[in-house]
Amino acid sequence: MSALSAQGLGKRFGSTWALRECTLDVPVGSVTALVGPNGAGKTTLLQLAMGLLRPTTGELRVLGLVPRDDVVAFLPRVAFVAQDHPLHRRFTVRDTLKLGQKLNPSWDDDLARARIEHLGLPLDRKIAKLSGGQQSQVALTLALAKRPELLLLDEPVASLDPLARREFLSTVLEVVSETGISVILSSHILADLERVCDHLVILSHARTLLVGAIDDILAEHRLVTGPRADAASVARGSDVIRERRTERQTSLLVRSNAHVYDARWEQHEVDLEEIVLAYLGADAAPVPERELDGAAA
Amino acid sequence: MSVIEFHLEVRSGVPTYLQIVQQVRQAIRLGILRPGDQLPTVKDVVRSLTINPNTVLRAYRELDLEGLVEGRRGVGTFVADGAAPLPPDDVKELRSALERWVNRARAAGLDDDGIAALFSDTLRPASIARVA
Amino acid sequence: MIWVSWRQQRAETIVAALILVLVALVLLPSGLHMASAYDHDGLAACVGAHPSPACSEAIGSFTARFDRIGNLIAWFTLVPGIIGVLLAAPFVLQLEHGTYRLDWTQSVSPRRWIVTKLGLAAGAALVASLLLTGIVTWWRGPLINVQGRMENSVYDSVGTVPLGYTLFALGLALAVGVVWRRAAPAVLVGFGAYFALRVFFDLSLRTRLFPPHSLTWRASGADPPSLHHAWLISERPSDRLGHPVYPHVTRAQLEQCANGARVSKDCLLTNFHPAFMHAVYEPASRFWTMQLLETGLFAGVGVVLIAFAGWWTHRRAA
Repeated sequence: MSALSAQGLGKRFGSTWALRECTLDVPVGSVTALVGPNGAGKTTLLQLAMGLLRPTTGELRVLGLVPRDDVVAFLPRVAFVAQDHPLHRRFTVRDTLKLGQKLNPSWDDDLARARIEHLGLPLDRKIAKLSGGQQSQVALTLALAKRPELLLLDEPVASLDPLARREFLSTVLEVVSETGISVILSSHILADLERVCDHLVILSHARTLLVGAIDDILAEHRLVTGPRADAASVARGSDVIRERRTERQTSLLVRSNAHVYDARWEQHEVDLEEIVLAYLGADAAPVPERELDGAAA
Repeated sequence: MSVIEFHLEVRSGVPTYLQIVQQVRQAIRLGILRPGDQLPTVKDVVRSLTINPNTVLRAYRELDLEGLVEGRRGVGTFVADGAAPLPPDDVKELRSALERWVNRARAAGLDDDGIAALFSDTLRPASIARVA
Repeated sequence: MIWVSWRQQRAETIVAALILVLVALVLLPSGLHMASAYDHDGLAACVGAHPSPACSEAIGSFTARFDRIGNLIAWFTLVPGIIGVLLAAPFVLQLEHGTYRLDWTQSVSPRRWIVTKLGLAAGAALVASLLLTGIVTWWRGPLINVQGRMENSVYDSVGTVPLGYTLFALGLALAVGVVWRRAAPAVLVGFGAYFALRVFFDLSLRTRLFPPHSLTWRASGADPPSLHHAWLISERPSDRLGHPVYPHVTRAQLEQCANGARVSKDCLLTNFHPAFMHAVYEPASRFWTMQLLETGLFAGVGVVLIAFAGWWTHRRAA
């Protein structure tokens, strides 16, 4: 089963499309990164997945259910931590946990308290008095204590210092290793991706540019360099993501499977950050109208 | 408290799981890890390195396939009995050969950086070829 | 969800309670004073429709003593407005700060969330307005016995209309707030609208909805019973048919009554004895009819606005 399955999913606000023709499949148990520039549609996709928004077009199934159809059955199974981890600032930590308990039938209070204790946070402190890192950990506790099957994180670490960022991601990954929950997290910090995630979705201007397992993506993409004169013939055979030229040399970042190149052409492996930047960069090749979103994972 | 602590070189170009595999292999060779020692749990590695659990599982699986470790369900992953460190004489011999080579390289005019570059350049295709 | 709603509006509810306590404290000294003077002067026996001359004098002196304090009551009709918009703030703040999304990503449906929160706000508004009405009615008691409760500013703070006003203010602030999604403007604009619409209603709509009676009577006789404790909108000398009659002032009188640049009105009127008086009034018997209808009107509009706020929130956040 897939944790999330979208077919031609689209969302329009007024006359602007925040997301369109989004088709992707996120496997259960995976940690999927959602990357793209601001305004690419990451938050929209996550909010659609959570049922906070209703799709304009297309179909969306999360854990096999349509998010807004049966709210009571759906909500306990999916948790969401929004950008900047909004919590009720006048509440104390204790109040926040009580809110979780009152509003979630599947709430595990022992787990929540154990985590808060482990974090060393006093129960009677007001949320507003906690640091950014502590607030994000409380928001994460709130999400995890309802024992969800899917965790949606919207830029959870964007405003955190490096230490808090590490702590947060470590916690999430620990829970993944213990319970096998699926995680979809959006981020514009590329450095963490390769070590933390095993699947990737690249979004830009409301469209998906690339979807797949990170291992497959790394295996399929190569940097190919060679004499400029021959560039055209090489390019014709493969999916060129980015092309850069000097007077004598051309380097192409291509996506292909076992394409054999001329001996004069060098092949290099590329790391994930480079691949993402190639797709998102200003010099990215225009995307052909056919297969935009790539194969399902 | 685990016997070994993994570290990760993010920019090395070597996949994470492979770095773990290499570190375990190296530790076994040098006798730091002995048969029967327990490897860090997946959860511990995930916590200390902030990496995807699948990566750790993959590394341990690889080591299992190589016969260096064995997983015991519900308990953990342990260094296999057959996993032998390199005989200290072998290590000693390899080390002397390496020292001789380094001296030859220096005599040829290579500085430390040049030596390191030549070494890793030669090593890389060999590693990739081995994994592929 | 009830605990959560309560906790989210706890601060504002406490402020509303403190406002009521403040009102009570302000009114307590004069209220006790008035009550004891009322008993002391034995006015309970004097408040029938036809008081004896001794009673008239007692009433007159009582009124003269407490009229100015009594005028304070005009201000208290603002309090339902303040409490109403105050209790709208928590809901709008949640929309403003986006924390409603936190609640909606727990396991409660948006519908249940909206209904519970708005219901609790309305409930708190009703309880607060009941308490307020109780306090003010107790305080005004002696004066009400003496003067009645039909007069505009008294009428606004007794009976059931304060409940309607509070719901109305709550609805206004909520409606503005859910569209604008900012709490401070919602509260200010809501209160401003409340004030303007209340003034408009008091000054023109009320008499239009409840057309007042008119009456002409012989000035020399006793005051007609239907005027007892009525809201006297106007009272002036008239002819037999009720047309206004003005004193005829001769030049000699003008000179006689002039005192430098000023002319004494009393002096001019000493020789003016109109035959008839004409009054436009709302009789006391209408009190409950007017109260209930007006409460229904304001409460009805309030409830519609609250429902709109709920509907808009539910639809908009989809």
